[in-house]
Amino acid sequence: MEFLVQLAEGFIGIFKAGADWWWAVFLGIVPLVIVLMTAFNAVVAWIGQERIESFGKFASQEGIIFLPFRYLLLPIVAVFVLTNPMAYTMGRFLPEKYKPAFYDSAVSFVHPPLGILPHVNPGELFVWAGIANGVQSAYGDTAMADLAVRYLLTGLVVILLRGIVTERITAFMWKKA
Amino acid sequence: MQALTGFLTRFGRAMGGLVGTLYQAGRESVDQVWKNVLPFLAFVAVIVGIMNGTGLGTWIATALEPLASSVVGLIVLSLIIGLPVLSPLLGPGAVIAQIIGTLLGTLFANKTLPLSAALPALWAINPQVGCDFIPVGLALGEAEPETVEVGVPAVLFSRFITGPVAVLIGWVAAIGM
Repeated sequence: MEFLVQLAEGFIGIFKAGADWWWAVFLGIVPLVIVLMTAFNAVVAWIGQERIESFGKFASQEGIIFLPFRYLLLPIVAVFVLTNPMAYTMGRFLPEKYKPAFYDSAVSFVHPPLGILPHVNPGELFVWAGIANGVQSAYGDTAMADLAVRYLLTGLVVILLRGIVTERITAFMWKKA
Repeated sequence: MQALTGFLTRFGRAMGGLVGTLYQAGRESVDQVWKNVLPFLAFVAVIVGIMNGTGLGTWIATALEPLASSVVGLIVLSLIIGLPVLSPLLGPGAVIAQIIGTLLGTLFANKTLPLSAALPALWAINPQVGCDFIPVGLALGEAEPETVEVGVPAVLFSRFITGPVAVLIGWVAAIGM
């Protein structure tokens, strides 16, 4: 009998461990995410999706001067306003040869802002929140905010880099095809 | 009198619009958290429960620890995740990245990993982002079929290069944390 009780305790214990984790993450992250998302959803509604189309046309031009527009500003604006996955529709203003690079750049920006702008991709929140929650519980709120800012800023560097590298590789493969 | 009522009407309408937008934004946020975030949280809670409750988590965490505790290890992790044959399989819903992130999070929570490893770790679990979605993403940007044909391998190859570079960028940017 005692053995059975121990067995049951162990069995329930497994799910109790999961429930404890669920509760800690729920309290630690969900309320903040809801409030941030509400604020940014409202901002996006005020900006309006139509208004960024003219910017899309402007940013999609050819030439090296427009590199930071194509692979930095356009992805940022597209992801912020249109969110994942509608952000990729902004690629339609670009010449064909730049479309893969823009996609690479835009899709790489759906995680780095999650600590500050969770509305861009709430379905994949835990790419950020998994690590961030551990950091918060061991090193505190300030460390998590610091991490969120650095993740966002390095995201800017990485998406520009990905745009440039993918544009080169696309051009190279196009010649061979 | 007419001017006053005119002003009041405009003011009332503007306030109504403001409140309406915010309320709608709140509804969207709660909807998204309810539909996307909470189910994922429940799913991961079961996995975390099994891992923490049975000790399997400690075992996997010990296996991940040498990879996660050095830059070289994180670069190796990013190379594995960014492999052009693996990345499209790891992409969907970013589920794998979210689970690895959560496991790494437990290592940060018990201070096995230093705070400075968090940023490169976030980038190490990133190289597969959107690799399952390239044809759809390009189609959303109204790309021609030839563009998709060149674009898919171009993005996959590019990730194999920019994935590890992103880890290095994260590692450098984490200095001073």
